[in-house]
Amino acid sequence: MAEQDQFDVIIVGSGAGGAPVAHTLVSAGKYILVLEKGPLFRPQQDDPLGLSDYKRDELISDGPEKILTIPGLVNTGASFYTSHVEPDLNDEPHIYQSNDSADYATIEGYTCQCVGGGTQHYGGVSLRFSERDLTLRTFNESRTDIRHDPNGDVKREARDWPITYTELEPYYTKAEQLIGLNGTRTNQIKVASADYYQKPLEPNPISEYARIGMEALGMKPYRTPQAVITQDHAPSGRKVGPLNQRDWEGGPKTAYVNRYGDCLDYKSTTWVALLRPIASRPGFTLRPNCNVTHLECNASRVVTVHYRDPSGQPATVSGKVIVLACSAIETVRLLMLSAEQASTFDSRINQNDLLGKYFLTHCFGGASAIMPGRFDKSRTIDSDWASDFCGTDDFIRSAGLWAGATIYNNTSDQALPIALARTHGATDLDTLWHAFDNDTSMVGEHLKDFLNAQFNRRLSVSFMANQVPQKANRIELHRKVRDKWGRRVAYIIKSWHDHDRFLMDTIAARCRDVLGYGGDGGKGQYPVEGFGGVYLSENALARIANHILGGARFGSDERDSVLDKNCRAWHFDNLYLTDGCFMPTSGSGNPTLTIQANALRVGDAVLASGIV
Amino acid sequence: MLPNILHSRAMPYRLLSRDDTYVLNYSTKYLARDNTDDRHNYGQYAAGDPRARIAEAWRFPIIDSYYDGQDYEASYDFNTVTFIYANSDPGLASVAVVGTFADLHAPVPLRRVAGTKYWTVTMVVPKGEVHTYKFIVGGEPRLDPVNPQHATKADGSQWSRFFTQFCTQIISFEEWEVVLLQRLTEHILPFRTTEGQRFLDLYYNYLDRNAKETVYPHAYRLDQPIGAVSFIDKVVAREESHRLQDYKICLETIDRLLRNRNPYTEPSRIAMEFYTELYDQMAGGNPRGWDFSRYKNPRFFLQLLRRHTYTGAFSHPKYGGNAGGAGWAYLAANLPDPQTGALPTERSQPSYFDWGHALERPLGRNPEYHG
Repeated sequence: MAEQDQFDVIIVGSGAGGAPVAHTLVSAGKYILVLEKGPLFRPQQDDPLGLSDYKRDELISDGPEKILTIPGLVNTGASFYTSHVEPDLNDEPHIYQSNDSADYATIEGYTCQCVGGGTQHYGGVSLRFSERDLTLRTFNESRTDIRHDPNGDVKREARDWPITYTELEPYYTKAEQLIGLNGTRTNQIKVASADYYQKPLEPNPISEYARIGMEALGMKPYRTPQAVITQDHAPSGRKVGPLNQRDWEGGPKTAYVNRYGDCLDYKSTTWVALLRPIASRPGFTLRPNCNVTHLECNASRVVTVHYRDPSGQPATVSGKVIVLACSAIETVRLLMLSAEQASTFDSRINQNDLLGKYFLTHCFGGASAIMPGRFDKSRTIDSDWASDFCGTDDFIRSAGLWAGATIYNNTSDQALPIALARTHGATDLDTLWHAFDNDTSMVGEHLKDFLNAQFNRRLSVSFMANQVPQKANRIELHRKVRDKWGRRVAYIIKSWHDHDRFLMDTIAARCRDVLGYGGDGGKGQYPVEGFGGVYLSENALARIANHILGGARFGSDERDSVLDKNCRAWHFDNLYLTDGCFMPTSGSGNPTLTIQANALRVGDAVLASGIV
Repeated sequence: MLPNILHSRAMPYRLLSRDDTYVLNYSTKYLARDNTDDRHNYGQYAAGDPRARIAEAWRFPIIDSYYDGQDYEASYDFNTVTFIYANSDPGLASVAVVGTFADLHAPVPLRRVAGTKYWTVTMVVPKGEVHTYKFIVGGEPRLDPVNPQHATKADGSQWSRFFTQFCTQIISFEEWEVVLLQRLTEHILPFRTTEGQRFLDLYYNYLDRNAKETVYPHAYRLDQPIGAVSFIDKVVAREESHRLQDYKICLETIDRLLRNRNPYTEPSRIAMEFYTELYDQMAGGNPRGWDFSRYKNPRFFLQLLRRHTYTGAFSHPKYGGNAGGAGWAYLAANLPDPQTGALPTERSQPSYFDWGHALERPLGRNPEYHG
């Protein structure tokens, strides 16, 4: 079959980093190709049969048992459970190095492999970063009150972004308008030039505990901005049912939200919000089920993209501009694999030693408690209340922290019975079912007691916070382990800084307080069984929260960054990176909206470059 | 676009047009690869079986929801079954499938997805059925080289096998094994308590009276709690076939052990206390009389059985357990208000788990989502 092999722009990846660029360029009349390694799973609205590939089915998300067979890893022989859009660990694992310098395979650090990428399964929390998140070097350089940083790493490693909040702000606004969010502005510390939030739905009743706790602690709450539409959304042509009628049974509220693709059109994935609206334009071509293997350059231009077609056959395509948005780990890996193939590519992408370095995720964690009442948590869009209390300069300084955090509650956690059991005591995606399996006393009456005590009574409050950038936190290619195409897989080496642990302890205690004050109407005595930062968990070094950031940071000095301020690789004329890899610091909130806003900005930069 | 249903005049089967994107969506991840290592053999394949090189071979053929373009609830009695045959030989002229879902003398032709190595056809097959089939490749009958499920017919011939959703026909276990599994799963789930059993009786009776025919044709009273055994039977036939041997060995071991302990009573009839005792001993890792030469870790089997039993009780009924949503209904009706101790009642208090709200009709009552 003769397929078109010349395009203005080739975009690798269709998630938060790729789709906004595609939307911008196609809207400007350019001819682009999106290559996506995963399938095009469709919601009901655009499926030819009127049925979705996504299902409200716990086992589609949690998957049956599989066993890791790759030899030579510490967890070879271990069971793992992956959803239908995650890679098979035996086909393409991520390997990480544990405390004892031994290698483990992990499912952490993968976003969904499908059109829409991570926006298909995410909870949709769509926070802006604060102005302070973008200026942490300036903020910290003259401070003497930063705790738990004996070697001065914060001052040495903190970076200001090469763009200001004011430069990014119009793109936040544009992203919020195009994508379709609901939420409220009042009490946010992030300034917005326009408000495109749709009206939030009534919160789940269990979230009231979180609101009461936040209010009691002086943490002014706002309704968490989430990428779920609650009204008709003109930019993407999506419609909602009669949500406000009392007896209407439909709508976006279900526990099949976070970690599920939406079978309807409510969740604002990049497919329904950005790509489907341009899918019938002549300039748009999407090839799903096509896995890019490497890039080839001619001097300072990347000219050829090599990929495997849906049958696995090698194919090539060329474009005037190449945009990579495979999620940070896989983008860095693709560049490293391309550099292995050709010294010209190698010398340009590795013009300094920073590619793969300063890999980041978030400091994250929170608190969880069994609340006094039982509520039907299965009617939710996941998060109801958020607070920027821990993101203000006053808070950061008074706590001796280097940067701030956002706190929000989660409602959909463990709202379904299999999720309750499989995540019982589990702290990450690699240890699902472990605690339930080991707690063999939980049968008959004891199982009933467990369900009685836990089901639809748990509430969690989470935080997302900046992680201290460390050069030693990095992505490499693994020496031995190869994916199903024979390509070396990504190797993740990272550790938590002392200050990260301190920060997580500090903010987790605030999350505990939210539940402690919320659970008893503001007295602060309600028992909270668990709280803490992710560093405390089993497999702590693998934990990424699917927030995969850094590794190719942007900057204004080519000696100190991989990308220029427009996210163009310094020594290439036409290679742009638009997933989370560009971030020099990881921000005080979930990163997706910032990746989307930045990708819209880069789309404009590509247009302004004059190359296409 | 409405699906293109071809009602053949001569044959009682229905074909359905699925687009190329659908076929590739369910093929590439699993079948496209260079890998030649046996990475996907966890014990379910003999050495050298080519299936060990591909991921999740159990997904083939692809069983999915069906919609006739007019009536979702009437369509709910059927699945689509999409056969996929991968062969990159450009000279291959034809591929067909022959099976028990259609006239065995009438092979159904597959079409090649343009520009790819995949051949495909989609059929409409009723739910709750087990079928056998073969591909006809270049005129020669062949087993599906991907689907690991096989069935041996009375004449000794080997066929590929699949089952559709909501299947309660037992296919992995013999009758005595099913009975033993029933007793073992009863100890795990809370439904064996007096009030749990009363609830289930009421729930099934309610279904029998009002809903069996109109609301949910596949919900009928199973002689086992929530159909967990049916779920286990299906999951070891397909998704977790690497665990079938664990069940086969351990059920035989347990049967023998119980017979030794109670020489005059069938294991199916002995008192629950004996199962409780055995369970506790398995949890401790050292049941008296366990044959460790056959199975090293009885505690592991217990963990496996618990995970499967719990999953079967509370997963979507299409996987063969949780008949009629009874496991979910138990959670909805039997968990009290922690402050007052009151159970939810239809009139005075809403349920704490309104599972039907999210789910497709006729199983649930969501007006938008169609399964």
